[in-house]
Amino acid sequence: MIRKTIKIVNKLGMHARPATMIVKAATKYRSEFKIVKSDMEINGKSIMGVMTLAAEFGSELELVADGVDEEFLIKEISEMFASKFGEE
Amino acid sequence: MKKIKGNSVSTGIAIGKAKLIKKDELYIKRKKIQRNEVEKEFNRFNKDLKFVVDELDKLIGDYTYSQENRDILESHKMILKDPLFNSRITELISKKLHSLEHAISIYFTEATDIFSNMNNKYLSHRVNDFEDVAYRLLSHIMDKRKDILEKVDENSILIMENISPSFVTKVFDKNIQGLCTERGSRNSHSSIIARSMNLPMLVNTLGLLGNIKDGEDMIIDGNDGFVIISPTKSVLKKYEAICKKEKNIQKGLLRLIDKESITKDGKKIKLMSNIEIPQEVEQLKKYNSAGVGLFRTEFLFIDHNELPTEEEQYEIYKNIAEQCKPNPVTIRTIDVGGDKLSNILNITHEENPNLGCRGIRISLQNIPIFKQQIKAILRANVHGNIKIMFPMISGVEELSKVKEIIETCSKELINTGIAFNADMELGAMIEIPSAVITSDSIAEECDFLSIGTNDLIQYTLAVDRDNQSISDYYKPTHPSVIRSIKLTVDNAHKIGKKVAVCGEMASEKKYVKLLLALGVDELSVSPGRLLIIKKEILDCDITEMKSKLDEILSCKTSKEINKLI
Repeated sequence: MIRKTIKIVNKLGMHARPATMIVKAATKYRSEFKIVKSDMEINGKSIMGVMTLAAEFGSELELVADGVDEEFLIKEISEMFASKFGEE
Repeated sequence: MKKIKGNSVSTGIAIGKAKLIKKDELYIKRKKIQRNEVEKEFNRFNKDLKFVVDELDKLIGDYTYSQENRDILESHKMILKDPLFNSRITELISKKLHSLEHAISIYFTEATDIFSNMNNKYLSHRVNDFEDVAYRLLSHIMDKRKDILEKVDENSILIMENISPSFVTKVFDKNIQGLCTERGSRNSHSSIIARSMNLPMLVNTLGLLGNIKDGEDMIIDGNDGFVIISPTKSVLKKYEAICKKEKNIQKGLLRLIDKESITKDGKKIKLMSNIEIPQEVEQLKKYNSAGVGLFRTEFLFIDHNELPTEEEQYEIYKNIAEQCKPNPVTIRTIDVGGDKLSNILNITHEENPNLGCRGIRISLQNIPIFKQQIKAILRANVHGNIKIMFPMISGVEELSKVKEIIETCSKELINTGIAFNADMELGAMIEIPSAVITSDSIAEECDFLSIGTNDLIQYTLAVDRDNQSISDYYKPTHPSVIRSIKLTVDNAHKIGKKVAVCGEMASEKKYVKLLLALGVDELSVSPGRLLIIKKEILDCDITEMKSKLDEILSCKTSKEINKLI
């Protein structure tokens, strides 16, 4: 299992497009994928889950992947966050 | 004054009053189901979900939509494919014994509640997405995709979410100014008809319904693709002037209806129409077209869950043949990629569908389906003047196979005693470079050739016209394309066969004179373009253009050619 903490750096936060991008990317992998925000834990392969996080600019999230391709999943997803989902 | 963008699918300016056609309220019964009905509800769920997801896939793959809109649709699809959605619906049906409709409405109410309670405004707007998805799914399940056409008059501009195929004819029977839909695409039935009627229409005007009131003044700018709500006086004036100018041009064109399409130096050019759906025949008759140069039969197969029967096809072909008689109707056999037929045929995914199983290849791999179409055409030919044409011919082999199949169909029809007429001209579409190069042999095997310029350009230049990043490479006047047309015409003329052009090049004013100088005998254009192209023919002096032909054919680039035409 890998855990990685990341910060939301795009201004608009986790709106529909980033959420779609994350779920689309995560679904490619076989590993289980969860996102934790304070005391809330959601399935990172569910758009409903990711959107209900209501993660805004500046909030901290923990990405948790568990499975055969966990490191690749974490790598791709954290890069997406870092690149601000191509915004601005 | 407010502006909202959309995609223009039919150009022109419309000035009028907004007439909103709203979607029906859905009434969900809260009835419990019996335990033995659970399985049935699951089956419905899977089937209807697949339908709506496929529908979204089609929209997402439609490049006439902006990237932004396709992203939204992508997230809508994801909402439906969400593992939570599936598990919650399963639970609501199997444990709580809710009907499918009720289960879905519960799930989406829960979802929208969560978003409505969020503090972040941007995120709480996601409620709209969930409501949209819920409506899309439920309206399909409950078969409520019908709209009610209220009172509209000649000042109305209709605004609706989408037009169902059954609604299209009702809308176009009314005398209206224009049309906007929040969904839809360039190739939807409504867009096709709007184009052939020259009725300004925009699709994809997202947010329009929420921003406009019934009866409000509005303008559709179908040339630049936007809507203006409550225009200021000066804007209105500006558009009224453009509108007047366009109407005058149109009026001038209407005077050409009864004129024969003949060039200045006296060559008669057969000017025919391309049609995609039977309803377009009305337009073609109005504009006095010399028949149908291309009747695409795809509409019968695409977006259907079942194959059309021979009888259904016969009725449609017969009807068009009768209406156009004595003018010819050129029916092109099914020309789609396998991907579009996945609903009804068991077709495996292709890496490269444009070079895959499409056009005649589909027909030759599904002979029973092909035979149904051929028989329907042979039978319809009793009632009019039908020509048959085959797409994606790469060489004479396919034509020999096709001829054998026509022979078999004739024999079978004789045996069953059904009336048919096998006296029918047979043509090959020339759209693959190999067919151009061997057009001498192909011409010997058929009665006429028809050049499909869109695919010919695509295959000659190896460029996908829908791929924005390489659109610069799509050059209709590339020397290779022009020389290909020349070669095809020359080969056909040598043995006295005629050549038509039915691709988009024929509908473009600027190419008409060049095509005629190259020797093309017939042009087939969309009904909305008929008179514009007729005017071009009337203005054309082929002899004069021909004197430039050698120079054009020796040009090295399309830029040089464009300068000369």
